[in-house]
Amino acid sequence: MAVTEQHDKITRPKPPVARFAQLSAAGTAVGLPMVSFLFILALWSVVGASGVVSEAIFPAPWSVWSATVEMWQNGTLQKDLGVSLGRAGVGFAIGATLGVTMGLLTGRVPLVRTLLNPFLNLLRPIPAIALVPVAIVWFGIGEGSKYFVVSYTVFLTVWFNTHHGMQYVPETYLRAARSLGASRLREFLTVVLPAAAPHIFAGIRLGVALAFLSLVAAELSGASSGLGFRLQEARQYIRTDRMFSLLIILGILGAVADLVVHRIGRKLVHWEQG
Amino acid sequence: MEMDKGRVEVEDVVIRFGTRDSAVTALDRTNLVLEPGTFTALIGPSGCGKSTLMNAIAGFVQPAEGRITLDGAQIRGPSPDVGVIFQQYALFPWFTALGNIRFGLKQFGFSKREEIDRARAALDEVGLGPHAEKYPQQLSGGMKQRVAIARTFATGAKVLLMDEPFGALDAQTRIVMHELLLNVWRKHRATVLFVTHDVDEALLLADDVRVMSQAPGRLIRHYAMTQPRPRALSRSGSDLLEIREDILGLLRPTTEPLPEPAH
Repeated sequence: MAVTEQHDKITRPKPPVARFAQLSAAGTAVGLPMVSFLFILALWSVVGASGVVSEAIFPAPWSVWSATVEMWQNGTLQKDLGVSLGRAGVGFAIGATLGVTMGLLTGRVPLVRTLLNPFLNLLRPIPAIALVPVAIVWFGIGEGSKYFVVSYTVFLTVWFNTHHGMQYVPETYLRAARSLGASRLREFLTVVLPAAAPHIFAGIRLGVALAFLSLVAAELSGASSGLGFRLQEARQYIRTDRMFSLLIILGILGAVADLVVHRIGRKLVHWEQG
Repeated sequence: MEMDKGRVEVEDVVIRFGTRDSAVTALDRTNLVLEPGTFTALIGPSGCGKSTLMNAIAGFVQPAEGRITLDGAQIRGPSPDVGVIFQQYALFPWFTALGNIRFGLKQFGFSKREEIDRARAALDEVGLGPHAEKYPQQLSGGMKQRVAIARTFATGAKVLLMDEPFGALDAQTRIVMHELLLNVWRKHRATVLFVTHDVDEALLLADDVRVMSQAPGRLIRHYAMTQPRPRALSRSGSDLLEIREDILGLLRPTTEPLPEPAH
C-alpha cells in the first residue's frame, strides 16, 4: 500500500493551476530582467540608427559589438583580460588573506586591537585611486604597483568587516563552549570563526567589487596592458566603441565574480540562509 | 552511584556590576546549598538576580565577596562539571544535532567511533535519534532544548544549571519537556538548579523551591517539597495550591505600591 501511495505521488501530474503559477514565478525571475534588458538595447539601437547622436560620442550597439570582435581578432582582448584578471586575482588573494588574518587578530587580541584600530579608521577614508601615484613611485608601472593598490584596498575592507564580525560573536555561544570544556583553540576554530563567518564573507564580497574598482584605477594611469590601460588608449584614439565594449566587459566580469563569491559563501555559511 | 558528588555551596556571596562608584548590587549576601542529586527551583521576580546567581555558579561571573564551591573546590570559571542550559537555545547552528553533542565530547579524546556512538546514545535518550543529522534551525524549540539537555548530560556534568529553559515553549511542549527532564535527571542524578519565574513549573518539578526577593536579590523562603511525582496542581487535598498562593503573595511587589489615582 505504501508503495502504491509513493508511486502515486510521483506520477500524479500537477494540477494545471499550480503548474501555471510555478511557470509564471520562474518567468518573472528570469523574464522580467530580460524584458528590461531588451528594451534598453532596443532604445539604444533606435538612438544609434537615428543618427541624432554622433557615433564618436555614443556608438550604436553594433559598433560596440564589432569593436569587441576587432579586439578579439587582433588578440588584445584575450591578453588584456588575462593580465587584468591575473592582477585582480593576485591582489585580491593577498589582500583578503592579510585582511582576514588582521581582522581575527584585532578582533580577538585586545592589545593588537588597541595598537592597530586607529590606523584602520585613519586609512579607510583614503580612496584607492589616491594611492596610485605612490604605488608607481614605489613599484614602477609593472605588476607590483597593481598588486599593491588592489591588495591594499581589499585588505582594508576585509580587515574592517572581519573585525566587526568578531565583535558580534554571541556571548551565549562562548559561554556554552566554555561550559562544554572547549579549549581556547577549539573555541576559536569551531565557535568564533563560524560565528563570524557571515561577516567575513560579506567583507570578502565587498573586497571582490573593490578589487576591480581599484585595479582599473591603477591601470588607467601608468600601465602598458590590461583592460584599464586599453580604455585609456581608446580615449587617445577617440575609439568610443572600444571604450563601451571594455566598460561592458568590466561590468560582466564584476557581476560574474560577485555571483561566484556569493555562491561559495552560501555553501560555506549554509546555516545562515533558510 | 556517586551520591557524594555535585554538592554546590554558595557562601555569603555578593555580586556587584559596574565600577566602584556606580556599582549596583545584583546579589546580596546569599547562602545556598544544593545537595548532590537534588532538584532545586529558584523563583523570583524578573531582575531579582536569579540569573546572576546561576551565572556565578556556572563560573561566568565572579563574586565580589564570599565563595562558591563544587564538592569543596572553589569555582573559578566555566567547567564541564557544571553544565548550563540557556534560555536562548545555545546550540551552534553550524553543527548538526549530533555535531553539537560531539562538541562537548571532544574534551575526552574518545576515538571518532566512540564519540559518535556516545553522541547517538545521548540523542536517543531524549528521543531525537532520528533527527541526529538535522541542523538546529530545522528543529522546533522543544527539540532544540532536548539537544541542549542531551549535550550537557553527555559530558557527564555533575551540576545542571537551567535558566528559564522552557520559557519560550508552548504549554503542551512544556509538559512534555518537564517529564523528559525528570526522567533524564533521575537517570543521571545530577544536581539541578532550575531558574524560573513560573511558580507552577517550580512546584511540579523541584525537591526544593527557593524564593528570591526583589533586587538586590536575597533568598527569602525555602519550601522542601515532599509530594511524590508526577505532581498535579489540580489534585484536591493537595497542599501544592496552598504553597502556590503563598509564593504568589511573596512575589507580589510590596515595596512599590501602584501609583494612587489622581485626586
